[in-house]
Amino acid sequence: MKKYWSVLKITFQEYFVYRLNFILWRFRSFVQLLVLYFLWSAVLPQGTVIFGYDQAKILTYILGTSIIRSFILASRSVDVAGEIGSGDLSNFLLRPISYLKYWFVKDIADKVLNLIFSTIEVSLIFILLRPPIIVQTNPAILFYTLIAIILGIVLYFYLSFLLSLIAFWTPENVWPPRFLAMVIIEFFAGSLFPLDILPAGIFNALRLLPFTYLLFFPLNIYLGKLTVGEIFPGLLISLFWIIVFYQLAKTLFKLGLRNYAAWGR
Amino acid sequence: MLASVKSLFRRQYQEVKAVDGVSFTIDEGELVGFIGPNGAGKTTTLKCLSGLLYPDSGIVSVLGFNPWQRKTEFQKQFALVMGQKNQLWWDLPAMETFILNKEIYEVPNEQFKKTLNELTRLLEVEEILKIQVRKLSLGQRMKCELIAALLHSPKVLFLDEPTIGLDVVMQKKMCDFIKEYNRRYKATIILTSHYMGDVKELCERVIIIDKGKIVFDGKLEEIVEKFAPQKILSVVFSKDFDLRKLEEIGEVEELDFPRAQILVSREASNAAAAELLHHFPVADLNIEEIPIEDVIRQIFSGKKIKSSEE
Repeated sequence: MKKYWSVLKITFQEYFVYRLNFILWRFRSFVQLLVLYFLWSAVLPQGTVIFGYDQAKILTYILGTSIIRSFILASRSVDVAGEIGSGDLSNFLLRPISYLKYWFVKDIADKVLNLIFSTIEVSLIFILLRPPIIVQTNPAILFYTLIAIILGIVLYFYLSFLLSLIAFWTPENVWPPRFLAMVIIEFFAGSLFPLDILPAGIFNALRLLPFTYLLFFPLNIYLGKLTVGEIFPGLLISLFWIIVFYQLAKTLFKLGLRNYAAWGR
Repeated sequence: MLASVKSLFRRQYQEVKAVDGVSFTIDEGELVGFIGPNGAGKTTTLKCLSGLLYPDSGIVSVLGFNPWQRKTEFQKQFALVMGQKNQLWWDLPAMETFILNKEIYEVPNEQFKKTLNELTRLLEVEEILKIQVRKLSLGQRMKCELIAALLHSPKVLFLDEPTIGLDVVMQKKMCDFIKEYNRRYKATIILTSHYMGDVKELCERVIIIDKGKIVFDGKLEEIVEKFAPQKILSVVFSKDFDLRKLEEIGEVEELDFPRAQILVSREASNAAAAELLHHFPVADLNIEEIPIEDVIRQIFSGKKIKSSEE
């Protein structure tokens, strides 16, 4: 386990080398959040209700997705495709370290840093703008939300890792499938609108797929729209998909290695 | 241009055998040179031995392990160093990669300190360990690469072009270091290089590979015997004479009076030398082997070489 702790440390060190880069990146997402906030509070004056969401709820949903998507729908494992294509993967294959765990640890480092900064940013918005947003205070609900977010992070990690493995078979065609997958994932994860405004039949089918558990599900828990009887099956379904993607990632990685040519050397 | 447009619609794939029927056994503590022209299959073979490539057929066994399975116990005992690319973290000082490798290979603290001290002293890099890797020169980086690969004291070492891009002084130091490592740790080393100099200095045994096949496997000196059926008579004459007569002795390779080089067959070299001494105004005479570089160049350039055994 100590080796992965070391990976965590060295990843932090690398971020500090690129501190300006990181701070600018955070500044960009901060501005984005502000723009989103001002846009939607102008579009939805107080008292409007759309799709059964009042202003506070829809604002919470939109700002909430924007914040948690920067944690969940963001994984450093996009770089895996590059490492396969360039042959840098060899460095890891030679050493007694698990490549999957290595990237997961790098993701943790990334998330810890982003969490610190985004807490500061959100606090700033609250102090300065006092937005009409739903603040969940029920500790049980907050706990379930946290669990759902963590599951979402793990789920997306494997999904993104899987998309990178395409590079084993066609290193020059990694981006088109990823773009396509991202459009689908974002849509069905509910980053554009709350998914429960869709017809019930479609919505129920979507609930069996992994994507809703990335954004829509944790936010819905946070908004207090789900009962415990609805939360648990949801957590189980996302756990099920994590296991599926984990097995897939492991199997495809093994298969891919047979195709790997350790290029570029 | 036309071909690349065509490849948009229909791509043709061709199966190429990178290595074919390459079989060899290396004993513990041996230092073997692996040479061949560009694209001969040297690196491919090393990649198979390291478990990076999955061999479509055949058996690979290193230290009793199948490298492809990438078992931890195996990986802790070997290292592959490639001259071209790095495992060092580009944006951090080399020391950070060393510490990471210490943890990855689970090297105990004491041993780590001892090995690191030894390696940095032998390679003379004490002062650059705290400098960002991107700021190091190629030679400095190469040395740090080597240290990163050796911190876990591997018993088996594959070196792919370890002296690439180094100046002559560094090249010599690197060679001395490899020799010392082989001696001190009784490590088994396979080395590929484009510089015959490296191989000549380091390796007793040489494997020559060309177009994916082994052409020669044996002692370095035997290459000349096997592939060069001729010897060189190197003569200096004392006075003028009818130079055309030299053709009777053998193939005149070079003639720059009073010096001449004559190629004669290996078996006839003594007789030819005696003939020269008797019938020509000879001031000095030497029987020499064809330089190994020339022999290997001939092998690489694909010239038909008559093996002396045939």
